[in-house]
Amino acid sequence: MLPELKRDPVDLIFSALTGLASLTVVVIVMGLFVVLLLESYPAIERFGVVGFLTSTDWDPVRESFGALTSLYGTAVTTILALLFAIPVALGIAVFVTEVAPGFLRGPIGVAIELLAAIPSIIYGMWGLFTVAPIMAEYIEPFLQSTLGRLPILGVLFEGTPMGIDLLTAGLVLSIMIIPFTASIARDAFNLTPPIVKESAYAVGATKWEVIKDVVLPYSKKAVFGGVVLSLGRALGETMAVAFVLGNNHQITTSLFDAAATITVTLANEFTEADSDIYLASLFYLALILFAFSFVLLAVAKFLLLKPQEKGVNR
Amino acid sequence: MIARWRRLKGFTALGLSCLAAVLGLFWLFFILVDVLVHGVRALSPELFLQDPVPAGLPGGGLRNAFVGQLLITSVAALIGVPLGVLGGTFLAEYARGKPLARFISILADIIVSVPSIVVGTFVYALMVKPLGHFSGWAGAVSLAIIMIPVVLRTTEEVLTLVPWTLREAAFALGAPYYRVILQIVYRAGATGILTGILLSIARVAGETAPLLFTSFNNSFFSVNMNEPIASLTVTIFQYAMGPYENWHQQAWGASLVITLFILLLTIVGRMIIRWRYGKR
Amino acid sequence: MMEVEIEVKDLNFYYAGGVHALKDINLKVYRNTVTALIGPSGCGKTTLLRCFNRMHDLYHGNRYTGQIIFKGRDILGKDVDLIDLRSRIGMVFQKPTPFPMSIFDNIAYGLRLRGIKKRTELSERVERALRQAALWDEVKDKLHASAYELSGGQQQRLVIARALAVEPEVLLFDEPTSALDPISTAKIEELAVALKKDVTVIIVTHNMQQAARISDWTGFLMLGELIEYDRTEKIFTNPSKKLTEDYITGRFG
Repeated sequence: MLPELKRDPVDLIFSALTGLASLTVVVIVMGLFVVLLLESYPAIERFGVVGFLTSTDWDPVRESFGALTSLYGTAVTTILALLFAIPVALGIAVFVTEVAPGFLRGPIGVAIELLAAIPSIIYGMWGLFTVAPIMAEYIEPFLQSTLGRLPILGVLFEGTPMGIDLLTAGLVLSIMIIPFTASIARDAFNLTPPIVKESAYAVGATKWEVIKDVVLPYSKKAVFGGVVLSLGRALGETMAVAFVLGNNHQITTSLFDAAATITVTLANEFTEADSDIYLASLFYLALILFAFSFVLLAVAKFLLLKPQEKGVNR
Repeated sequence: MIARWRRLKGFTALGLSCLAAVLGLFWLFFILVDVLVHGVRALSPELFLQDPVPAGLPGGGLRNAFVGQLLITSVAALIGVPLGVLGGTFLAEYARGKPLARFISILADIIVSVPSIVVGTFVYALMVKPLGHFSGWAGAVSLAIIMIPVVLRTTEEVLTLVPWTLREAAFALGAPYYRVILQIVYRAGATGILTGILLSIARVAGETAPLLFTSFNNSFFSVNMNEPIASLTVTIFQYAMGPYENWHQQAWGASLVITLFILLLTIVGRMIIRWRYGKR
Repeated sequence: MMEVEIEVKDLNFYYAGGVHALKDINLKVYRNTVTALIGPSGCGKTTLLRCFNRMHDLYHGNRYTGQIIFKGRDILGKDVDLIDLRSRIGMVFQKPTPFPMSIFDNIAYGLRLRGIKKRTELSERVERALRQAALWDEVKDKLHASAYELSGGQQQRLVIARALAVEPEVLLFDEPTSALDPISTAKIEELAVALKKDVTVIIVTHNMQQAARISDWTGFLMLGELIEYDRTEKIFTNPSKKLTEDYITGRFG
């Protein structure tokens, strides 16, 4: 596509400049991997990979560290967040693309995107001062006296409801990712060609049947990609969780217990790490988080990259 | 019979989706009102004009954090914007359609979503550990790292939208490519790029995690980028988790200011997009 | 005298923006015939077609006045059950629109919506529809393959079979061959003619030869008005309006 012109020397300089600038992206990614790897090397050497991942130790005094408690907290809060967020987000996307009358679609879409722009620290503040007390006072005692009585499920709701726990963290996190998931799902739904929807209506399908049988299957790959992206966002989120999870390295069955995620551990302990192996272990956690989200995001990108291009002939 | 059943099912499902939308809007409303109610009470001239007093004492403000936030964000933009715009230019112009451009652009998309706290640890290892102290520069670099891919991708997208024929017309007059880019392509894409920059500033202005162990915090007024510098977000975190009632108050005040700032930037950015590129 | 299937009376149609797209249309579509609607692009032929199954209702703000009588009832009435209407008046679009599911499930889709669940009955009806659409021999061994694996022409016949499976009384074709190669086009044309023993066919086409080849009646529209409506051989050999003659002979559009 480049025009065959005699190249001006300035042009050469300018193109080199832009090329170098674009390489910063590559440098950042490689730098992240290399630096995190180097910094965590003492911990990798001392605790190994499997050993670190499976150890529940987190003891600065004995200098024995393992990732399992943080991984557990990350997994539980992320799963809770997705469980709450996905149905609501899909509902919003269906509403905005198919149900809402035309004049409402724009404003609701904008509102949802504003919700996505609010910084996570605000969600954290709100979670700490508003949501946590409500949870401790009303919701958690209620859950305890209902679901808590059930035979097996009961273990999830044991202990004194304090509001600073896995359940609250999962809830705040889910509210934070709802708008994000919803706007990706909305864009995915909009990929369905109107003519395919029309032809479902033309065989006499109701609106819901068109959504369920045509729109959802048509966009399922992109929606799944969006869910993976949301997953990546939930497990990498720091501030929304840091306020309401406490920082407690233990594995418990109850959702009413404080816990720690990788991000919360980093946020609370990084500046306090007083020994080299402590700091290296924290870097090790950061490396695990980075590697995992990198893979996850790459997968999501791949899924979102390829919208179903076969199908309707263009 | 069957028709009534189908209709009932459809009605229920769509009803549930309305409910979901109401729920989504409810949270937005809830959070905004909450921040507004708590924040307005904390707003006062002192909040902006005074520095913090020793912990536990009444009074004082967050002048240091406002100034620090402004400083860190501006320096981050000074680093991030040129790199992002130039990098995006390379992808959309000189490397257009080449595998390299595709690769970098996918990589940029991925690091846009990398957990921001990881960026903080990275910059800590690069700039804080070797020097032995936290610094405003480190904070600004962290935010710049988050900004670069955002600005780069928007620039690439905006420039790709500029019709190729426009460039051809300029080439036909014998202009070298860099002149075509600087004088024609940038002009055509100016609003789009500007919007991308606005939105990227909105994005990093609310970041806390990458600042926690780079610019750290400072309870004194400082504009020395070689020292730890206070930022609004880190201060909010510290004050909210602290034990004093007037700290909480000030944290709410700071939350309100930062929320309004970011929402304003976002709304302006979206309005420009709508005005310039029509309805999406 | 032939039986009237659909009668359009003083139909006016306005798009959401206020554009007056159809002006005082009056015409009678006869049962078991093929009726073609022709005219330059933007003349309103597709708009008219989409009135017959109220497709316009999917989008907010569109407005009709006048009447379309089908089975003794005005289908533009407020109390009309659109889902029922659309299963009686099927539609085939410009581009093939298979749903993202298997060949079998595509055809069974409309049947399942109507509560037919028995495997044997479904298979029977799917086979009948595929035979009617002259597709059975080509797909009988891969009924459970994805519908996307078929060629464009096959996909279009699949979509016709899907419309036929619910046994509609009228079938609307919106330029069904505009995205197809000549051989596939010939097959669809044959099919349209063969189908008229079972259903009434209304077809919109920008191809005058196609209208001449397959239709019994032809309506010529221009700028939202029905200029002339008559038997096809009359329209193409001896039109009574000057505008029609100009169009047929290729003097404009």
